[in-house]
Amino acid sequence: MSNDALVLLALWLLPLASAILIFAFGPMLRRSAGVIGSGAVLVPFALTWVLAASALGTGGLKVHLFDWIAGFSFGLWLDPLSLLWTLIITGVGGLIHVYAIGYMWSDRAIARFFAYMNFFVFAMLTLVLSDNFVGLLVGWGLVGLASYFLIGFWFFKPSAVAAAMKAFVINVVGDAGLMFAVFVLFAATGSTAYADVFAKAATLAPATVLLACIAIFIGCAAKSAQIPLHTWLPDAMEGPTPVSALIHAATMVTAGVYLVARCAPLWDVSPEARALVGTIGALTALVGAILGIAQWDIKRILAYSTMSQIGYMIMGVGVGAYQAGILHFFTHAFFKAQLFLAAGIVIHALHDEQDLRKMGGLGKKMPLAFWAMTIGTLAIIGFPPFSGFFSKDAVIYGALERGYPLLSLIGVVTAGITAYYMCRMLFVTFLGNNRGNVPDVDLGIPAREHSEPHFGESAPAWVMGAPVAILMVPSVVAGWVVFGGRWNALFASDFAPKPESALATVLPEWLVGVVVLAFVAWGVAAAYHRYGSFDATVSAVERLRAESQRMAQPLVRAFYFDDALEALFVRPARAVGSAFMRVVDPHVIDGVVRDVVWLAGWIGREVRALQTGLVRGYALVLALGAAAFLAYFALIGASR
Amino acid sequence: MNAPMDVDVSYYIVLSTVIFFIGVGGVILRRNPLIMLMAIELMFNAANLALIAFARVWINNAGQIFAFLVITVAASEAAIGLAIVVVVFRRAKNVDVDEVAGLRG
Repeated sequence: MSNDALVLLALWLLPLASAILIFAFGPMLRRSAGVIGSGAVLVPFALTWVLAASALGTGGLKVHLFDWIAGFSFGLWLDPLSLLWTLIITGVGGLIHVYAIGYMWSDRAIARFFAYMNFFVFAMLTLVLSDNFVGLLVGWGLVGLASYFLIGFWFFKPSAVAAAMKAFVINVVGDAGLMFAVFVLFAATGSTAYADVFAKAATLAPATVLLACIAIFIGCAAKSAQIPLHTWLPDAMEGPTPVSALIHAATMVTAGVYLVARCAPLWDVSPEARALVGTIGALTALVGAILGIAQWDIKRILAYSTMSQIGYMIMGVGVGAYQAGILHFFTHAFFKAQLFLAAGIVIHALHDEQDLRKMGGLGKKMPLAFWAMTIGTLAIIGFPPFSGFFSKDAVIYGALERGYPLLSLIGVVTAGITAYYMCRMLFVTFLGNNRGNVPDVDLGIPAREHSEPHFGESAPAWVMGAPVAILMVPSVVAGWVVFGGRWNALFASDFAPKPESALATVLPEWLVGVVVLAFVAWGVAAAYHRYGSFDATVSAVERLRAESQRMAQPLVRAFYFDDALEALFVRPARAVGSAFMRVVDPHVIDGVVRDVVWLAGWIGREVRALQTGLVRGYALVLALGAAAFLAYFALIGASR
Repeated sequence: MNAPMDVDVSYYIVLSTVIFFIGVGGVILRRNPLIMLMAIELMFNAANLALIAFARVWINNAGQIFAFLVITVAASEAAIGLAIVVVVFRRAKNVDVDEVAGLRG
């Protein structure tokens, strides 16, 4: 193997080795597990840069691992697409690991936490580095498992356990869809390697490609929280905040974007799949943004905004604006991780208080969190020249350019709503006066359980502050990669160069940008009008209470998606289960056993009369039997 | 061709059959276990006679070997059977097999 191949193997396996090590020696390592775990992610980050040159070369860097049966060949593939994902996973992931040392400082199970986190990084690297669908599927399942572990990390909270199970079950629905897609593609092409499948993509029957695309997208929808499989993501916020930042914002939930981009050759030949995925993405963006308005939990707002932003990405890659969708992933990873980490600083400082209504006026107390949140908000709402401006515009314009004006319009409206709910969160949290001592009832907060606050010693503030400070830089400048056209050129080998004739220049790009900005300005202004000018504590409390009580029911119930899934799937499944319990189990399964027992008893009762205990009787029967036997062979058997 | 024999094999077979059925009758009709054991011995020996007669006819020593096996089995059977009879007699103070019906279902 070449040196590059060994480096790739090392960066892939290092997090796994670290996870095993930490898991085995966790009680001894305690807090130093955080240092080891962070190192096991940051070192691969450095190694990835070493490989950048060969990954950007023709065909990327391929490492063949082993062959199984025909059509199943396993290997790693680092090309521009997986290189970008690897850099984000290890780079942003490494920063989040460092942050987590501080966040989990006083948690007893800090070593277990880092073992899971490293395991997640390994699983995610498997997902993006695999050069075939089976390896992808393995990574796809393992990240779901890691996500389950980490959402339910605080397993003594029943809500966390329920959220973990919900996430896992919905993800398995997606896994099944993806697995079906692999079956379809293998049946059609006889191989599971990306290269083989994509080489034959253009020759497949359109119906086959559409079927495969739909099945793949079921997997993407479950993993990337697209409607109607998004309901697990807000609940997943039960996990520790670094988990929300790493798995449920920056990396795992964008796996669907990666997969659609990776399978670009399939989508390129199926316009129906394009329209479907683009539409779902746009709808998810809109629904997520609208639901973001109605939340009071700071992490749930960020969760809905994640869902909404991933909707943008999926819309981008769905309509064929791959570079734009990936750019939005790239910028989103920075500013969303930063938003979550800043929210984590607030939550940590307030001892696990996550309700906006109990915050307020925190800007002076926590300047770092305030500025990080402000920059992150400016980036996510697409304020120039912050990173989100470039990527969101690229997606919206990309949809327009490719002949989906309606989706583009949804994107524009969503941008305005995004500005509104993000600024709402920012203003209510950091402006005005502090409401920490106002009773819950006065703020309209329904009765809730107070979890045991775990006051422990805290890590030095810089452990959590430094990653947030570092993330501010790419949050601002990451979007500037579009200048000079190098971004699009980066992926030229992955995506077929767009036929220029197919692109309609309906509107000039600057005009679209101005329209988006107008909507954003409207959103910011509306949020400022409602929440930015909270002057005195008393009026703020009254307004928040009024808003809590008058919140529209469809928004509070998240558009009834949970209720619909409950009515459509959970209740029928439970009904089938209880029917089995009441009918099939006692009368069929147990019934057969009982009948066999009764039959044996009946036979015993009937034939016991034959057992006379008289030896001479037995001898007579024996003799008669022998005689009958002989007679048979003498008379009938002989004639044959 | 027939084996070099002075007496035709059918005589042996007839004799064997007669002895065997005497044994069968003894087991079925008599109620004394000692007599029954003796009747069983009769059946064994009838079988032996048939085996040896056929061994002679077919010039095949397997029949004789079987006869030895049967003698061995008969000896063990007599040993165990007599032991059982002794034990039963001690417990029941009589030797009528019809009275010993503890295994009736």
